[in-house]
Amino acid sequence: MTKFRKFLASTVAGVAVLGVAQTAQAIDEVNVAFFLEWPTPNQIAKVDKIYDEALGVKVNWTNFGSGVDMAEAQVAGDIDIAYSQGAAPFVNAIRQGKPIRMVGVAVVYEANDCFVRNDLGITSANASELEGKTVAVPFNTMADYAFRAQMTALDVDVSTMTLVDQDPADGAVSLADKSVDMVCLYGADSAAKAGEVGTQIMTAEQKMKADIGSFDVISVTEKFATEHPELVRAFLKVTDEANKNWRGTDEQFRKVAQDAGIDVQIAKDQMATFSFPTAEEQLSTYFVKGGEAEKLAEILGAVFEDSNSSNYAGSFDAVIDGSFLK
Amino acid sequence: MLEWISYHRADIAAVLILVLAAVFLWSVYYGMRTSRLRDKEQVFGDPERTSGGWYWAVCGLTTILLVWFYFSWGLARAYFPTAANELCQVAKVHEAMSPIVARLPIGSRYFKSTDLVVRNSEQLEVIEADLPEGVFTPAQTRDLRQIMVETRELIAVYSDPARVDGAVHRQLANIVGTLQDLTVRVQGGVDNLRPALRPSSAALAQTPWGVGDEEIPNLPMTARGVLFDAVAQDVAAVSEDFLTLRNMPPEAARLIAQIRGDIDRIKAEIEADTAASAEITEARGNYVKAVERIFRRLDDGTIFPANILNEVNEAVAVMLDEVARAKGSLRVVDALFMPGFGVVKTRTICIEQGSSRWLPKPTDVVAKLSLLANPNIEEGGGFKGTRLLWVKWLAIADVVGFFIPDGVVDVLPGGYGTHDASGGFVPTYKDRLLALAQGEVNLGHVPMLDGHIWDSLFRVLVALFFGVLLGVPLGIYMGVSRFFKSFFDPMIELYRPVPPLAWAPLILTIFGIQDDGKIFLLFMVAFAIMVISARTGASGTQISKIRASHSLGASNGQILRHVILPNALPEILTGVRIAIGVCWGTLVAAEMLAGTTGVGFIENVARTVSDYELIWVTILIMGLLGLLFDLFMRKLISILIPWRGKG
Repeated sequence: MTKFRKFLASTVAGVAVLGVAQTAQAIDEVNVAFFLEWPTPNQIAKVDKIYDEALGVKVNWTNFGSGVDMAEAQVAGDIDIAYSQGAAPFVNAIRQGKPIRMVGVAVVYEANDCFVRNDLGITSANASELEGKTVAVPFNTMADYAFRAQMTALDVDVSTMTLVDQDPADGAVSLADKSVDMVCLYGADSAAKAGEVGTQIMTAEQKMKADIGSFDVISVTEKFATEHPELVRAFLKVTDEANKNWRGTDEQFRKVAQDAGIDVQIAKDQMATFSFPTAEEQLSTYFVKGGEAEKLAEILGAVFEDSNSSNYAGSFDAVIDGSFLK
Repeated sequence: MLEWISYHRADIAAVLILVLAAVFLWSVYYGMRTSRLRDKEQVFGDPERTSGGWYWAVCGLTTILLVWFYFSWGLARAYFPTAANELCQVAKVHEAMSPIVARLPIGSRYFKSTDLVVRNSEQLEVIEADLPEGVFTPAQTRDLRQIMVETRELIAVYSDPARVDGAVHRQLANIVGTLQDLTVRVQGGVDNLRPALRPSSAALAQTPWGVGDEEIPNLPMTARGVLFDAVAQDVAAVSEDFLTLRNMPPEAARLIAQIRGDIDRIKAEIEADTAASAEITEARGNYVKAVERIFRRLDDGTIFPANILNEVNEAVAVMLDEVARAKGSLRVVDALFMPGFGVVKTRTICIEQGSSRWLPKPTDVVAKLSLLANPNIEEGGGFKGTRLLWVKWLAIADVVGFFIPDGVVDVLPGGYGTHDASGGFVPTYKDRLLALAQGEVNLGHVPMLDGHIWDSLFRVLVALFFGVLLGVPLGIYMGVSRFFKSFFDPMIELYRPVPPLAWAPLILTIFGIQDDGKIFLLFMVAFAIMVISARTGASGTQISKIRASHSLGASNGQILRHVILPNALPEILTGVRIAIGVCWGTLVAAEMLAGTTGVGFIENVARTVSDYELIWVTILIMGLLGLLFDLFMRKLISILIPWRGKG
């Protein structure tokens, strides 16, 4: 019987530990999440340790596979700042009631593309023929948003389509195999593969005309923002300076490409479609009441409405905070 | 009815937990009494010792449920339904206080000012040691050293209590005074509240904890909550005052202006010096920038002498103690029933920060499950437009169409119809046959299962069926034939250890996105297990039994059917049990390939939005289905091989 009691006691103790993991930590380093294969000018500041200098503390950079993972790590307390988190995972995190806040815009880029198989002969002119077709799209990502926004712009009824949840790389293969009729994806590599057998349903100009764009955000945890506002401010300042110092020289491209882990040419191609708004531009167009940030957040919120997991009631302007850019 | 249950889920949980606790205690009592009796009749190692014992199963189940209730904070919600709302108001106080606390030893061991002084002094030293030789002109070098001296002086000026402005003293005293007033207010408790501070009607109209969209109702619903909420608002104002407070004595302002002027002058000099090489200019620029960065961190007057902040630190400590005391019984609830960090206020809402963040309450999981199980998709049932498990009418024509390839019609003589001059269309016999081959005729309907669960079940069952059908004969032949053993052994052993996920990209491009690819993936898993278990079973047959049947005149076929197969059956059936388990495990990976339906698909989508309730629902469904399978297999085993464990 004593053995049983011992076992019971150790089980209870073990289970109790589960509940109270996570410890508070003093601020002698700042943890930042970023993406590989996503070239941005601030990587020069990252490589040159300008962030460390300006913040006065050690800055650790951890690469992540997705914005959702970034938000998870933020809630777990492992990440303070997420650089270039997709707007979609950010909005989803807010809808889950996660304690994070958007403090800046990292990258503005063209909305992701949807490729239609060439042999179907469907273009934006006869897009309604897409109804009833099969579409591969990574659910709840920016590509999902781009897909829905483009279908709305082209007046195509999404509910008639068969949607398949696939990663971009898989989606590109499925398009080539003719298993799906259209694929919506992100990532330069997958887009190039899909471009071999398909054509974009909307051109860059058409997307711009329809006002379909997207951007990545810089988000920080609530705790970090309230306790170390000066570090947030310094981080944004260094980022802004790096963006302003971007001249696109070969030297700069080489540095960024090396840090991003991609070819210089791919970095050049990719960055040609990016823009990096200055702090002033962000304040005047993104962070004003009813500005771009709030608009996209509301649209995204509506797009993901049917995932019926909202923990969040109200408008997004409370979690979109431009005050650190001033 | 469902809505009523959903709204009162906490009360239902309260009753349920009592029942569970009672059942738990009873099962332990009953189990111990029974085992005391049994211990005497059965020796250790007797297989009979494991038979029966359903009461321990009941005990295990209730334990799991009670632990689940506890760590998901279900216990707290059932018996203290208003606790979360009240703790949310307390959390608001802490949230409002956090900017102050972060700058004081009470929250972070050191004053933030101390941190800044130490950190910047260290960096000044580093940068001073790094002053490059032969890059700057002697005059510039002197100026730079002067800047560093002045920067140190600036830190000293900030840290000197004698130099602090009278206005700053007054503002700090104000802040301390307000905090003390607030402390008194908290001390006074609920009775001190004016009637105007009773919970507002908007607050009382909120749905209870965990029922609505908002997990924890935000507005204070109790008198105690109103008190904390009001205090939090005042603290927020104090916080704002404290944050905007700057220590900028005239001497510091003078030093800042001077340093700024010096830096600008050196910068201008560097720019004007066109004779220097690009490298030198860059090195100079970088160094000056580094010096400027340290200066920039010091020019905003956020460093205060330590002793003038002591009073604030004390006032905050006293106030937080008082808040903790005023929580009263909430403290016990918080400490005992909410494992983790309790209720935390984020920017807009209060959240449960603890194990319940990723472990939803059992009642909520059931609520989610019933929402998914609702067959009416228009009402928000099902998931992504597919029901969870339901019956649909399957057109027989579709089945016929599936089995007749369209190409058969193409090779028949004659041509397909064309539209005539009047715009009409008269189908030929080929058109009609094509319609049949494509399943576009009406041949009546049969009922058929439908939905995510059925789709997953179907994939697992078909894979298992083929796995057994092909794996068992091959395995048995490998157990009795040298050719089969040696020929197939390397193939199977080579592919068996490869994790199923590794095949995924290949499967996708070979089979496409339909069911066949997913089934094939599961089949590969099941097949290997079946071959191995059948082979082990067959080769383990006692040679004396085979010799005996030989001498009684049995043919090879008869030996195979009547001696080897029955001998291998226990191993084969154990193999099926294992294969089912592994198939369920692989299902999530298989349905990740190209998700349209299935339990694994739900899980994959839920993962992208971190919907923990949904994730647990899928885990529960898979667990229950696996359990059902296993119970079925156990029954099958006891019917097919009643002799197992008795020889």
